[in-house]
Amino acid sequence: MAPQTLLLTLANLLIPAAILVFATGFFPYKPFMPGLAEYEELGWGERMGWKEGSPPKAPFDRLVFMVVDALRSDFVFGEESGMKFVQSLIRDGSALPFTAHATSPTITMPRVKAITTGSIPSFLDVILNFAESDTTSTLATQDTWLAQLKAKQNGKLVMHGDDTWLKLFPDFFERADGTSSFFVSDFTEVDNNVTRHVPGELLENDWNAWIMHYLGLDHIGHKAGPRSPNMIPKQIEMDEIVRTIYTAIENEDHLENTLFILCGDHGMNDGGNHGGSAPGETSPALVFMSPKLKKITDFTDRESPTKPKSGEFEYYRMVEQSDIAPTLAGLLGFPVPRNNLGVFIEEFLSFWDEGSDRIQLLLRNAKQMKRIVEATYPSLDFSNEGRDITEECSSPKVLHWTSDGQALACKWQGVVQIMSTFATIHPTLRFMRAAQETMSSTASNYDIPRLVLGTSLALLSVILAYFTLPSLRPIMPQGLFFAGTLLLYSINMFASSYVEEEHNFWYWATSAWFFYLFVSESRKEWYSRFISHPAIVLGIIHRVIRRWNQTGQKFAGADDIVHSPLLRGSNSIIIWSLIGATYMDISLRLSRHVARSISSFDEERSKDLDDFESTDANRFMGMLAVLPLGATAFVFKLAFTARDAPELTKGINEGILEWVEGLSLVGGARMVFAGLALSAGWVALAEWRRARRRKTGEGNGDFAVALFDLISLFLVTQTKAQNIPLYLLFRLQFFFLSVLDLSPTAITTTTLLLTQTTFFALGNSNAISSIDLSNSYNGVSDYNILAVGFLVFISNWAGPIYFTCAGVLLLGAHGRIQRHIDTAELDQRDWVAKEREHLERLVTQERALKERRKGGSGAWRAHVGLLTLWTGVSLTSVMAACTLLRTHLFIWTVFSPKFLYAVAWGVAWHFGIVVGVGGALWGVGKW
Amino acid sequence: MATIINPQAKPRPPATPIDLLNNDTARLYTHIHPMLVLSLYAYKFRSIVEDPVPALTSTLIPLSILQIVYVAICLPPTGGSGSAAAQLEKRKPGEKKKPAPGKLESGVNGKIIPAFLSLVLSVLAATPLLTATLVLFGAPVTTHHPHTFLCAAHISLLATLPLVYVHGVDGETWREIVALLLPIDEVYGGMIGTVFGAWLGAVPIPLDWDREWQKWPVTIVTGAYIGYAVGKLVGGTLLKGRKIMFE
Ligand SMILES: [Zn+2]
Repeated sequence: MAPQTLLLTLANLLIPAAILVFATGFFPYKPFMPGLAEYEELGWGERMGWKEGSPPKAPFDRLVFMVVDALRSDFVFGEESGMKFVQSLIRDGSALPFTAHATSPTITMPRVKAITTGSIPSFLDVILNFAESDTTSTLATQDTWLAQLKAKQNGKLVMHGDDTWLKLFPDFFERADGTSSFFVSDFTEVDNNVTRHVPGELLENDWNAWIMHYLGLDHIGHKAGPRSPNMIPKQIEMDEIVRTIYTAIENEDHLENTLFILCGDHGMNDGGNHGGSAPGETSPALVFMSPKLKKITDFTDRESPTKPKSGEFEYYRMVEQSDIAPTLAGLLGFPVPRNNLGVFIEEFLSFWDEGSDRIQLLLRNAKQMKRIVEATYPSLDFSNEGRDITEECSSPKVLHWTSDGQALACKWQGVVQIMSTFATIHPTLRFMRAAQETMSSTASNYDIPRLVLGTSLALLSVILAYFTLPSLRPIMPQGLFFAGTLLLYSINMFASSYVEEEHNFWYWATSAWFFYLFVSESRKEWYSRFISHPAIVLGIIHRVIRRWNQTGQKFAGADDIVHSPLLRGSNSIIIWSLIGATYMDISLRLSRHVARSISSFDEERSKDLDDFESTDANRFMGMLAVLPLGATAFVFKLAFTARDAPELTKGINEGILEWVEGLSLVGGARMVFAGLALSAGWVALAEWRRARRRKTGEGNGDFAVALFDLISLFLVTQTKAQNIPLYLLFRLQFFFLSVLDLSPTAITTTTLLLTQTTFFALGNSNAISSIDLSNSYNGVSDYNILAVGFLVFISNWAGPIYFTCAGVLLLGAHGRIQRHIDTAELDQRDWVAKEREHLERLVTQERALKERRKGGSGAWRAHVGLLTLWTGVSLTSVMAACTLLRTHLFIWTVFSPKFLYAVAWGVAWHFGIVVGVGGALWGVGKW
Repeated sequence: MATIINPQAKPRPPATPIDLLNNDTARLYTHIHPMLVLSLYAYKFRSIVEDPVPALTSTLIPLSILQIVYVAICLPPTGGSGSAAAQLEKRKPGEKKKPAPGKLESGVNGKIIPAFLSLVLSVLAATPLLTATLVLFGAPVTTHHPHTFLCAAHISLLATLPLVYVHGVDGETWREIVALLLPIDEVYGGMIGTVFGAWLGAVPIPLDWDREWQKWPVTIVTGAYIGYAVGKLVGGTLLKGRKIMFE
C-alpha cells in the first residue's frame, strides 16, 4: 500500500472515532433508575403524624387520557378556538387548564416518553427512537404511570390511536387499536378509527386507564398549516368527543371517580410542522377535567376564551410536560415513577384538606427526584441529617461559583431543616423546581474532555487527509475555490443563522463556481452566443433548482416552484408530464444498457470484434425488457402520491386514479426494487463476460454508467413526486458538466457543491422537522429498523447520492464514445492542419481520461482525499462550534441538530456513498 | 509586468494597462473620485434603506455625473490619445498605429461626448445584461423588479461606464475583459472589485439580525460601491499591470 493510501485510510478511520468520542461527551449518559417505584420510608413520621406506607388518599381511580396530536394551546384556549365545550367547562370550574411546555425535539415519540415517565428525553432519544425496535429499549421495562397503573390491583389498560404507544408499550394493553401516521393526507379515517371505540369503552368498567391518541389535527397542520379551513371543523369534532366522554363521566356511576385529561403532545409552527423549539411547537394545551375539580377551582383563573399571558401561546400557567407524571401519581394514588423530573402541579394540592397530606405528597416527589440528583452528583451530601451549611451555602459568591449540584445540595438542606422545625411546602417546591431545571439543562452534564478529544481527532483526520493530497503547487484557482469554500463553511458553522440558512451558502457558492467555469472556459474558447455556453446553462439550471423548494427558517413558507399554482390542482397534469418525462428518460437509458447486454451474448459477432454496438433487434428487445420496470415504477409513484398527496393528482383522470388506488403499495415498491436488482445482476453478467472475452483494447466503463442509471431510478422511486422533475434538471447538469472537460480538482469541487446544493434543493434543511419520512416504508410491510433507516437516508440524501455517483463518472469519463484515432494516419496536408490539431488534442485528452480511469494518475485517491478533507473539516467545525457554544441559547435547537446532520453526512454519505458506492462504481468502471 | 499569453495566436497588439492622463489634475482627482462616490452613497444610504426604489433612482443622476467627470478628467478615451506617449514607447516597431480619433476631439468636447456615449451604452446595454446576471445569481424573479434593475444600473455605472470609455465596444476586447485576460489597471480593477463586492454583498442577507438594511438590494449595492473603491485603488497601484493567471 502506498504511504498516501495508508494515510488516507487512517484519516477515514479517524472520522467515526471522532464522532463516537464526541457524541458520548455531548449526549452524556444520564443516571437511569431501573425497576418500578414503590412507596418508601419517608422519615419525619413522628413529627408529621403520617404512617409509613400509607400515602394520602387519592381522589381518582380511573383515567381517560386523550391526546390530540399537535394540539397547540391556542387551539383550545384561544378566541378563535372551535372547542367551545371545553371552554365552557373551564368557565364552570370543572376543568383546570394549563400550557404544558414541551422540550425540543417536539416529535411524538420523545414527547410520549416525557409524558409517561416524567423524564426529559434528550436529542439522543431521537436517534435511539429509530433503534427502538428491540424490546430492551422500549418503555416496557421503564417506570411509567402506565406501568404503575397496570401494576395496581385489577389494573387494565386500553389504547386507541397512534401506534407509537403500541411500539413503546408492547403487550401492555388489554385492548388496543393502533392507527399509523403513514399518509398525512388522511384527515378523517385515522380519527374515525379511534372514535368508533368511544361508546363501547365508556360502558366498560374493566379498565383503569384508557388512552386515546388522535392524529387528524396534526395531519391537517402538516398539509395546510394551522390556518387551514379544515382546522376549526377538526377542533369542533374533538370538542364533541370531549363532550361525549365528559357527559358520561357526569352521569355514569362507574365513571364517577374518573379523571379526564385532554392534551397535545406538542404544538406546531406557522407552517404546521414541528420538531424544533419555536414557541408554537413547544406549547401544547393541557386540560384536566372532572366534576370533582370544582372543589379546587374556586380561586383559579376561569376566564375562557382568553388571551395568552405572555408571548403568543402561553395561556394560563405554564407547567412542564413532565409534571403530568407526578401529578397523576398523586391524583390516582401510585408512587412517582423513578426517573421522573416533573413537579407535582400545586393547584391540585387543595384536594387534600390536611396540611400534612400536602407536605407528604410533595416530599415523596422531592425524595424521588433527590435520588436522581444524588446519582448525578455522588460526591455531594444529600442526606436527611440536618447539618451546618452556613459555610458552603450562605455566601452568594459560593452559590454562584460552585456547581449547580452544590446549589441543589443547599436547597435540599433547606428542605431538611424546615421539615425538622415547622413544615411548609415552599422549600420542597423550591428544591424540586431547581432540580428540574438543573437536571434538564444538560449544560452541567457535558463531558468537556471528550468534546475536546473528539474535536481533536476530527482535526487530526483533516491534517492526515491534507498530506495525502497531490502537490498543491502551482496554486490553481480551483484549489483556491475548494479551500475557500471549506474555510467559509467552517466560519459559518459558528453562526446560528448561517446554520439555519446553510442552503444559501451553497447556492451562492455554486452560482459563483459556474460563473468561474464560464470565465475560465472563455479564456480557452469563445462562444459567440454565450447564453448557450455550457457553464451559463449550468447556472440557469442551478437557478431553477434552487427555487424548487423553499427551505431554511428565515423565509420559511415563501413562494417556491413546488407550491406554485402552475403545478397544483387541475394543473397537476403538468407536473405529471414532467415526472413521466423523467421516467421515460431513465427508461430509455436503461434500455440501451440492456440492449448492449443482450448483444454481448451474440457469439457470432463477439468472435472478431472487441467492443461492438447493439443491433436494432437488440435495442427493440432492450426496450421490451425495460418497459415493465419503468412502467411499474411510474404507476407505483402515481398510486403512492394519490394516497399521500392527493392535491397533486387532482388533474389526473378519475378512472386511472381509481385503478391505481386499488394497487398494493408494498407490492409495487418491492416489484420495482426487485426489477432493479435483477437488471443490475443481468447487466453485470453481460459486462463481465464482455470484459473477459475482450482480446485487445479496453472497456469503456459502460457498466458504471448502467449502474448509475439504475441507481437514478432507485433514487427517483425514493423521492416525493413533486421533486422528481428535478432529476431531469440534474441529468441536464450532468450532461453540460461532461461537455466542459473539467480537471480532476474541478470535478471534485463540483461534486462537493452539487451534493450540498441538491440536498437542500430537495427541501431538506438542518432542522429535524424537515426530515421527510414519506418514502421510508416503501416495500416494508412491518417495522424493520434497518430497512426503514436505510430508506430514510436514501430518500433524504437522494440528491447528494446522485451527484456523488455523477462525479465518479465525470472523473473517469465512463461511457464516452472512444474515437480510436490513430494520429499517424492523419492527413499531413496543410489545409487540415487545424483539424489535425483539434483531433490530436482530442486524442491526448482521451488518453489522459483513460489513464485516469485505469488509476494511473491517482485521480481516484485525490478525489477521495479531497472529499475526506471536506468531511473532516465540516465535522471539526461543527464539533468545535458545539463545544464552544455549548451554553448558547440555540445549542439544542440549532447546533445539536446540525451535529446530527453532520454525523449522517460523515458516516452514511461519506463512507456509504463516497467511499462505498463511489468506490464500487470506480472499480467496475475499469471492466 | 507579467508575460502575456494570448491563447489564440492572432496578430493583435498585446493589451497594456490603461494609464492615467499625464497631468496633475488627473493624478489628483483619481484619488478624490472614489471618496466622492463613497460619500455620495453614505449620504444617500439612509434613504436607500428606507425606500430603495426612489432613493436608488435619484442617486443614479449624481453618480452618472461623478463618473463622467472622473473619466473625462482622468482617463484616455477609447483609442487612447492621452497615454499615446506611453503607448508609443511600448509599441513594437513596424506596427501600425490605430486610427487616431480625429483632432477635434482633443478638447473638452472630445472627452465629454465619449463619456456621455459610455453612459448611454452602459445604461442601455450593460444594465439589462447585469440584471439578468443578478437574477442568475439569485435575485428574485417574481418580485422586486425595479429593485433588481436599479441595482444592476448602479453596478453598471460603477463597473462598465469607465470600461466603455477607455476600451470602446470592440468585441475582442470585451471578450478579453470577460475572460479576465486584460492586464489590471484602475478601471479594470474597479470593475472586478464592483462585481466581487456585489457578490460578497449577499453574505449578510440570511443573518437573523432583523435589520432594515438587510433587505434586497441594499447589501448588494453597498458591496458594489465598496468593492469599486477598493478594486480601483488596488488595481491602480499594487496590482497595476499584473495579469490574472488561471493555469
Ligand atoms: Zn406531526
